Amino acid sequence: MPQVRINGEVVVNFDGSSPNLLQFLEQQQQTVNYQCREGFCGACRCKLLSGQVSYLQEPLAFVRRGEFLPCCSIPKTDIELEIPK
Amino acid sequence: MAYTTFNRNINDQLKEPMFFGNAVNVSRYDQQKYPIFEKLIEKQLSFFWRPEEIDVSKDRIDFQQLPEHEKHIFISNLKYQTLLDSVQGRSPNVALLPIVSIPELETWIETWAFSETIHSRSYTHIIRNISAEPHKIFDDIMLNERILERAVDVTRYYDDLIDGINLYQRCGEGTHQINGKTEQITLRELKKRLYLCLMSVNVLEAIRFYVSFACSFAFAERELMEGNAKIIRLIARDEALHLTGTQHMLNILASGDDDPEMAEIAKECEEESYAIFMRAAEQEKDWAAYLFKDGSMIGLNKDILCQYVEFITNSRMQAVGLKPRFATTQNPIPWINTWLVSDNVQVAPQESEISSYLVGQIDNEVDTADFGDFDL
Repeated sequence: MPQVRINGEVVVNFDGSSPNLLQFLEQQQQTVNYQCREGFCGACRCKLLSGQVSYLQEPLAFVRRGEFLPCCSIPKTDIELEIPK
Repeated sequence: MAYTTFNRNINDQLKEPMFFGNAVNVSRYDQQKYPIFEKLIEKQLSFFWRPEEIDVSKDRIDFQQLPEHEKHIFISNLKYQTLLDSVQGRSPNVALLPIVSIPELETWIETWAFSETIHSRSYTHIIRNISAEPHKIFDDIMLNERILERAVDVTRYYDDLIDGINLYQRCGEGTHQINGKTEQITLRELKKRLYLCLMSVNVLEAIRFYVSFACSFAFAERELMEGNAKIIRLIARDEALHLTGTQHMLNILASGDDDPEMAEIAKECEEESYAIFMRAAEQEKDWAAYLFKDGSMIGLNKDILCQYVEFITNSRMQAVGLKPRFATTQNPIPWINTWLVSDNVQVAPQESEISSYLVGQIDNEVDTADFGDFDL
């Protein structure tokens, strides 16, 4: 079960009860900006500080190195992420 | 280098830059320099919708019962959106097709502009329904100072680019005497105009539409003008995709991988890019003040809308590699997101008014009883 560290503080296990990382973050009461929830608008962009995610569907939105879209991904390894303020 | 509709040079399209290389000859997609543009085309096609599919008849009753200041908000937004989509339905084609050099991007530009023409037709659909005199609303667009003010900024980067391309393709680089006037153009200057034009289009689709969107959804939250909100939701979904398209173009250009000179130009244009964003944000805030000049609506007022403009401007700036300039970090109207979720557009087909249910609705169930009244 991969561990998710959020904003350098909270560490939670990704137990598979959420279909993707965006829903997972919302369940942890984190505020993440979002729009399409399908990977084409890019509004939910977060920083991936360490670890890897795998995409459920390839995002259409532009994703820079070091960033990822939580709406269409799940953690592949333990990850550390930062939600932009 | 005059434009030709079928470039006879045998070139390797994979080695062409996105713009200002050889004009595209064969529209082929078996090989692609940037496959993302074909993915955007496919997504856009999967989004296809027609305004006539959405029943707006209940909106007429709602509209008649709106207080005057809310009618003003509703109609003004529609007028402004009509202007924006009039520009967007033609300008990407006129400005970008003569200079694009790779087929998948050329087709994306055409697909993108086409979807804007659907938006334009949907405004007529909405306005015809709520007003017995739609011509009065349309005629006012060209007379309304508040709309025309902003039209200048929406169109000038397109016009500068188109003007430069015309000169360059007719006469080439250098100083030319045209109709007694001295005109000068360089390829580098053209590239700069292209970059700024794309930045301004990005701002148009990223910020300018959203004040309107917020008002439409605020009406619908009160179960008013819901047919309109359904259409606006489809438009918002399209716009989010177009925005992704221009963000890709801008980011590819700025990376320099496509054309090293473009990376320098992107750096040079940084200050002006900030200025384009900030000017648009200020204009949209002024627009919010104009909308609410005679009174607010439930759930939305000028201050909230201005904060939303700041919030969304910050987030759009970051998407194209700029730093946020406003202090607002929280979305003041989080309820808007549920209206912007792509999934919700398709969900719950059993609700008869959901648009997707009306698309290609074919009942495949056939029973012998169905032939009961058949006579041969």
